[in-house]
Amino acid sequence: MSTALGRVVATERKPNTPHEFHFWTAIDSPVGIGTIVRVEGSQPIDGHIPHIYGIVVEGFSYTDLQSPMHDVLGHDGLPTTAGYAPSERAEIRLYTAAVLRQIPEEPLQPVPMGQVFLAEEADVQIALRMDSYLKEGASTGIPVGVYRAGGTEAVIYLDADFLLGPEAAHLNITGVSGLATKTSAVEWLLASLFTHFPDEKGSIAAVAFNVKGPDLCYLDQPGKVEDSDKALYEKLRVDPKPFPQVEYFAPYTAKGLSLNTFRNNEALLDKVTPLTWGLREVLQFAEVLLNKDDVDAKADALIDFIREQVVDKEFSDPMLSKKHKVQSFADLDAWFRDVLQGMEKKDGESWRTHHVATIRKVRNRLSNISTRCAGLVTNTGEVSDLPFGSFTDRTVYVVDVANLEEDAQDLIFARIVSKLREHLERRDLGVKHLVVFVDELNKYAPGDGQDTYVRKMLLDIAERGRYLGLVLFSAQQFRSQVHRRVVGNSGTSLFGRMDADELATPGYAVLSPATRTKLATLEKGQLMIRHPHFTQPIFVRFPRPSVMQGREGAERYPQSADVSLDAAILRALRPLDPTITLPWVQEITALYTEDEIIRARNATLLARPENVRAYFTAQFRKIIPAQTPARPMAASIKSAPENDPYGF
Amino acid sequence: MNNAGPDTASRAVLRLLRQWLPEMSVIDGASSLEQTSPGDPPILRSAQLVEGSAMRAIRIAGLSRDTTSDFGAFLDGTQRVRVIGHHFGLPIVLGTVSAAIRVRVNRRLTTWGHQPPRVDRKIYAPLRYIPSLANISPGEAGEANWQIVDTSTADKNGEYPSQHPVALFERATRAVDRDREALEDELAEAWCARGEAPLFVDGGISRSARVSASSCAIGVIKSHRTLYVEGDALRTVMGLKRGERSSIFRVSPRSRNSVLSWYLRLRDADGHDPMWGLVRVEAAESERAAERADEVSRWVIAETSPLALPDGRWDKMSYGIRDCEEFLRAIS
Repeated sequence: MSTALGRVVATERKPNTPHEFHFWTAIDSPVGIGTIVRVEGSQPIDGHIPHIYGIVVEGFSYTDLQSPMHDVLGHDGLPTTAGYAPSERAEIRLYTAAVLRQIPEEPLQPVPMGQVFLAEEADVQIALRMDSYLKEGASTGIPVGVYRAGGTEAVIYLDADFLLGPEAAHLNITGVSGLATKTSAVEWLLASLFTHFPDEKGSIAAVAFNVKGPDLCYLDQPGKVEDSDKALYEKLRVDPKPFPQVEYFAPYTAKGLSLNTFRNNEALLDKVTPLTWGLREVLQFAEVLLNKDDVDAKADALIDFIREQVVDKEFSDPMLSKKHKVQSFADLDAWFRDVLQGMEKKDGESWRTHHVATIRKVRNRLSNISTRCAGLVTNTGEVSDLPFGSFTDRTVYVVDVANLEEDAQDLIFARIVSKLREHLERRDLGVKHLVVFVDELNKYAPGDGQDTYVRKMLLDIAERGRYLGLVLFSAQQFRSQVHRRVVGNSGTSLFGRMDADELATPGYAVLSPATRTKLATLEKGQLMIRHPHFTQPIFVRFPRPSVMQGREGAERYPQSADVSLDAAILRALRPLDPTITLPWVQEITALYTEDEIIRARNATLLARPENVRAYFTAQFRKIIPAQTPARPMAASIKSAPENDPYGF
Repeated sequence: MNNAGPDTASRAVLRLLRQWLPEMSVIDGASSLEQTSPGDPPILRSAQLVEGSAMRAIRIAGLSRDTTSDFGAFLDGTQRVRVIGHHFGLPIVLGTVSAAIRVRVNRRLTTWGHQPPRVDRKIYAPLRYIPSLANISPGEAGEANWQIVDTSTADKNGEYPSQHPVALFERATRAVDRDREALEDELAEAWCARGEAPLFVDGGISRSARVSASSCAIGVIKSHRTLYVEGDALRTVMGLKRGERSSIFRVSPRSRNSVLSWYLRLRDADGHDPMWGLVRVEAAESERAAERADEVSRWVIAETSPLALPDGRWDKMSYGIRDCEEFLRAIS
């Protein structure tokens, strides 16, 4: 049994309550803000000696000096002489602790006087009510970090039922930028989740949106793990290894030659799948890209008409010059052109109740999408997508949208999340639980500003996702600027080092000044955690993720510069067939246009055929290359028979 | 004298007294007894000079801002006298005395481990005039085994005190004084027996033969009801400047032990009363008395920092003694 390190004290001016108590310690005691302590009462209540667990939230230090002036007088106004005093003044370390748990829990009484002990690992489990989900047969504990104080090291577990549902769900991380805390914490937590998520709860995967920088681009690459971190990994029972199953998705650049991702280095391309959508996919989410000023009721009606009656259908109209089957943006543009020409010929102002101005406006806005989202949206209608329906257990799917325009990011986010939701509702995604990680929540779900489609979707996940197994892990720099219902529905919240201005906002008023100060000075690798089982925030340390960090990855695998068309084709096909060479590509594509070559590449990448060369070459057979007709042979002059009297 | 509301000890003793003396009147608030000063009257007394032929002011050698102190501990005692009731006007007093040695470890003061601090509580009552109390057997003295001290015993001339309540209260106060001094002496003797670092004693050291002869104990007296100087010597002592001491003289009270003594000015008295910052130091006889007086004076002056504020006697009090008093206040 450990020795007491303090004693509970209470005065009339500073009494103890059922939720707060005060204690003093020796000056050199290892107690600090965030330390968990145990109080042993001296008087039994209902035959039980009460045990109270608390966490230090405030600290005071003072001496018996009544006025600072006395110290000045005592040292003749010279601070340098203070050190000559033979005695130090009597000094106190007085702490205020918030109650985490009282045992017995009833009757709930003010904390009694008693000795204070440093909480040991078993105490920490009881104090944080982790005993309920770490007991034999429950085991829904997901290690999130290690609590350290004095000589105590205790693993802190989150309850999977409260992290991924069904009881509560979602996780939100706040912290200043530049310390890599948010991304590191999510990478670490996913590793822990994939290791410890109980088998009986089913399969789990994650979709992470890489919205800035190369942070999430090297999850499959090993990172540097310090010895201190190795010890943490061992304590937390997680292998310090990169994620074994990671799949990357990224659209092309606007030119369409190379993938628009930090991970487009040739050495890493094998795990990157192009993300391209056609008209049908985009039109479903047109409202993501078209704001309310663009789409009034008339325009909305026309878009609905196109979606329902035109796209993917044989469409004919007496006014049109031909039958249309619209499957791509190019087809749609041809259809619009035909409609408008028909109206001009008729000299009519409306067609099928749609005014010509509305038709022109919608044409303009829709055609614009393929420009604004170039690289993602194909004119030709080819689709390369996430493997909805065949998601695999313990796999991270990273969608790299870091280099895209905001519109394209919104479109990708909206469509992917909608598809995930649809599949989870139908229970055919391939996994039972899915974590969606979104950074920069300030931007996607702001607390103020106009209501956007993306914000509505995030609210929907936050409020209803847990019933489907769709869990939102979100991060932002300023929690106060995120929609309250999104962060409010996050059962678990993590806080890294915080900005002082952010801490001054009302949302942090529940924290003591000392806790706020600690939050403002947290080291890298430290987090404050709020979880439904913990009645007070807890500080933990987590190991540096065992994956390559963004900056290191970007240095080791530099992003490829724009390359020529041939080189781009070579780089795209080589992961499928390493024997393909540049001369071969040049020979096959020499006679074709850029669009045709890109289309052939996209088709090949989509099909991933066994015989890549044959498949790629076959894409060009439909096109007969223009050939200069050979000069016709002049008919030979028949020689006249020798006996022909008319022959010349 | 403390007349605050009854504490735990007072309540316990009141319960007992009510059993023993059902007619006793309990005093809840302030005592109605006249406040008197039971101490000796202020007097001047001559003393034998040990250093030189006339009393003079001596600048202490080697005194500087970074003078250090060799004191290793501080001894002080406190007492609390409370009239808790009266029996037909005869005061019944609860006396609490305490004493402690606080040793200095790494510049911080902590309680001496070899002799725990002492806190004694007793009932002081005139048994001659309340005979029923005289017959209390140990079995009736409660769990705390309350001891009753008779405040009506005959003096050395065989005379009993009158029944005047004030006279009996003064008797009780003196008895409490003696008990406190006994506790202090007990602790000082225990310290000297171990021969540890010099002990700073609040008050004189001449009561105990062992302590007065030990180089381990130095007494520092803050009150000057008796001044051991007369005539020009008084003028010399009153005129001492900061960092000056008087010549050494010998104090040999009749009922006590002989010790060397000198006056020492700790703080400049300009603008204050003449006793401001003036202490009298007592030390055991020494062959090199002057050197010893300078050395001890340097220690005592070093102990003026940190200030003993907010204690009103901070001009003369060392911080270590204030710490003892605060400690005793907390435990008694």
